[in-house]
Amino acid sequence: MEARRVLIVDDDPDIVVYLTSFLEDNGYETRAAADGADALAAVAEFRPDAVLTDVLLPGRSGLDLLVTLRHDRRTADLPVVVMTGMDQILQDDGHSYLTNHADIRGPDAVIGKPIDPRDLLEVLERVCSPSPVPAS
Amino acid sequence: MTERYRQYFEDMPCYLSVHDPSFRIIDGNQRFRRDFGERVGDFCYRVYKGRDEVCDNCPVAATFATGESHASEQTLINLRGEQMPVMVHTTPVRNDGGEVVAVMEMHTDIRVAKRLQDQLQRSQEKLSQLFEEVPCYISVQGPDRVILHANRKFRETFGPALGEHCYRVYKHRDEQCLYCPSQQAFKDGSVQRHEEVVTSAWGEKINVLCTTAPIRNAAGETEAVIEMSTDITEIRKLQSQLTSIGLLVGSISHGIKGLLTGLDGGIYMVNSGFEKNRPERVAQGWEMVQRNVERIRSMVLDILYYAKDRELEVADIDAGKLAAEITESFQKRATDQSVELSLALDGDVGLVPGDAKAVRAMLVNLIENSLDACRADGHKAAHRVRFAVRRSAPWMVFEVEDNGIGMDQETREKVFSLFFSSKGISGTGLGLFISNKIADKHGGGIEVESEPGQGSRFVVRLPLEARPSTHPEPLPASDAVATH
Repeated sequence: MEARRVLIVDDDPDIVVYLTSFLEDNGYETRAAADGADALAAVAEFRPDAVLTDVLLPGRSGLDLLVTLRHDRRTADLPVVVMTGMDQILQDDGHSYLTNHADIRGPDAVIGKPIDPRDLLEVLERVCSPSPVPAS
Repeated sequence: MTERYRQYFEDMPCYLSVHDPSFRIIDGNQRFRRDFGERVGDFCYRVYKGRDEVCDNCPVAATFATGESHASEQTLINLRGEQMPVMVHTTPVRNDGGEVVAVMEMHTDIRVAKRLQDQLQRSQEKLSQLFEEVPCYISVQGPDRVILHANRKFRETFGPALGEHCYRVYKHRDEQCLYCPSQQAFKDGSVQRHEEVVTSAWGEKINVLCTTAPIRNAAGETEAVIEMSTDITEIRKLQSQLTSIGLLVGSISHGIKGLLTGLDGGIYMVNSGFEKNRPERVAQGWEMVQRNVERIRSMVLDILYYAKDRELEVADIDAGKLAAEITESFQKRATDQSVELSLALDGDVGLVPGDAKAVRAMLVNLIENSLDACRADGHKAAHRVRFAVRRSAPWMVFEVEDNGIGMDQETREKVFSLFFSSKGISGTGLGLFISNKIADKHGGGIEVESEPGQGSRFVVRLPLEARPSTHPEPLPASDAVATH
């Protein structure tokens, strides 16, 4: 079976190294992006099965990235997992930050930092679509 | 006097006595005899007051003189030596020729009325004292917003306000406030309650909780409004500090979660490196552990510095030597990150007065930020951090320049705000806030130039002559800016 592809979006190189190594050790193919613009380019090119994004990124936030992906019909169904240490987002899945975007589907999952590796694998297993994202 | 009138005279429930022109009592009724004795023939001033001469303002004398009735309030002393407040009325007794030959005096016992009057007066005094001494600002305002009464605390804080408009006194305004609770109370008779910021006579801003209520006349019409304002400045300050502490806790919590993730990552890399027998992965993981432990150390120092607003210990600092030491201490980290860290000293820059520990912490913070900005930037082949020191009277100028990730305008504008962090994972939002505070306490400042993707340049200026801060007061907690 072909390896599932996960796009990791985080501006902290340590987190990127950690998640890349951990997910590759567990059979995923990964790509990393340090900010929202990089992430959008990588989505088009790498065509991930899921995006795993931090919230606080340079420039546009991880939630802005979510909104952009949801508004584009080509990526609207792409599973997005948000990882954060922000209590408010952990409590309401980011809804309080997405009040101006009631029309879009929120994140497919929110996981807290520090990341529980088993949770992360379970969540990715659950959200990864069996079919790849349609070509752009 | 006929017998029937005599009987009326005798039975009257007051003291009746008749006086001749020499002030001798020539008749008295039963009650007079009971309480003052069989004193007919004696002088009235002796009988009633135990005096040896005619009283001042004697109503009997006045009636003899004018032929008219007189009334006054007197205090008599009865047989038992008791003092009796009475109301005295006199009336002339005329002969057939109309000549005043005697004066009849009627004393009505007003002890009960007097007692009530005294009680009323005492109540009024108490009320007045309460009004005066209540520890809040009380004023009574007329329909035109003119202050009719004000208590002591009000007068002490806002000046002798009587006759002035409330908006002038409270807010130093020339026209009525947009929302006037006093006006509302006049309009609908309701009790109004709201919060205001007012200004004392000496310009101090005071947060008050203001309650206004109508004062109605007998017909139920509102003729004035009483306004009571409680000083809640301290409460607001505490709230602001609590908010600040809440932000700090949230910020620290967020920062720690990020650092723990980094540590988890390092541990994972070390463990999996051993399992897979990949020494380079072990080494990479160990560096991650070390880096994140160092970040925790730095965060704790920031928190401690924030928590303890200590006084500067100013001494002459050898700026070049300090810069060289700091640069040296960062060389390994810079090399590990493949960042070229350089120091440029403009000749012998000499000494600058300052607190060595604080200045060091400030410069370390700036260089750490620059190294972080380089690490976060994945778009350039080579990164560099340039630390420069130059003497440019009246300043000692330190510059930390990097070609890292850079900042957009919003980040630039907030970069020195408390709890603002653009670093997501590792920032508490304390570092640059504290650095700026240190520069300010020395009478200097920090400026920042930055472009996204290009890099940042922080310029610190410290005065060559020790000078006080331009903001001697601690920055209020309400200036805190929360971004997460």
